[in-house]
Amino acid sequence: MQNTKDTFYETLRNRLAALNPDRTIVIRGVTRPGTLVEENELVTAVDVPDCFRLRWRPAAIDAKGTLPLATLQCEIAYETAGTALNSGMDRGRALAAMDGELLAALNQAPQNAVKTNYAGLAFGHAAITMNTSLWWASVAFGPTEIKDDRLARIATVDVMSFEETGEL
Amino acid sequence: MAGTLNSKEGIARLTSTVLRTAGGRSVLLRIPAPATAGIDAEQLGLATPQFQDVVMEPVAFRKAVSENRLLVSSHTIETLIGTLGYDAADALFETAAGIVVDGVLFTITNCIAYEAIGGPYCFCLTLRAPVR
Repeated sequence: MQNTKDTFYETLRNRLAALNPDRTIVIRGVTRPGTLVEENELVTAVDVPDCFRLRWRPAAIDAKGTLPLATLQCEIAYETAGTALNSGMDRGRALAAMDGELLAALNQAPQNAVKTNYAGLAFGHAAITMNTSLWWASVAFGPTEIKDDRLARIATVDVMSFEETGEL
Repeated sequence: MAGTLNSKEGIARLTSTVLRTAGGRSVLLRIPAPATAGIDAEQLGLATPQFQDVVMEPVAFRKAVSENRLLVSSHTIETLIGTLGYDAADALFETAAGIVVDGVLFTITNCIAYEAIGGPYCFCLTLRAPVR
């Protein structure tokens, strides 16, 4: 399942960066596209605003077929305080813009990606393309939440893939 | 003397002295090394950053059941900010991995600056103990 999680993150991050290259974050001194996976970052009590934070929820495995079918639920949390130039009065529009970017990235064809094994990156090797693909369902947007001066939302999307032989 | 005490610097020094005499102790501020640009391994959790432990003293640490607090003077923080090349105290604490107190890593959950004469003289950090 780790390969599914990694591939989905890479795909979504690249699509979101292509849609809005200006949405960036600075993590430990480095500017990068405004998408991150919470479990891959340092534990912090600070929720980074104006970026998409992915977190993985319980997975389900259907072992009836030739290959086990894994379904993972991905929560995509994001929040914004608007822009300081507008005293935050555009926070509703900023959140709507993030809704639009996420929807466009997830609805963009094809709604699948070839699964890739990125484990080699830890040793300086290239990522390896696998034999199967992953695909995802329609995104479901949660209600708008008010967090002090920020507006926040959690969107949910189910990501499916077949587990190949020997895969974690 | 009166001029010093009426300045931000004077109040910060006074805070340092009070913290030092009122059971002041030292803790370690754990800071991760800068990320590597353009490398996906860190973003995928495949590589972990190096950490640097910086001594922070004098501080007053109060451990409670629900909440832990750490008081540190702005004099100490300004020295750290200058040495480590950060823009502001907020940036320093948001970047930090936590505070090491007697070998236990606490997560920083909040930072409040106490101000006088137009500037901070003391920072109060709220810390969360690790789940055991």
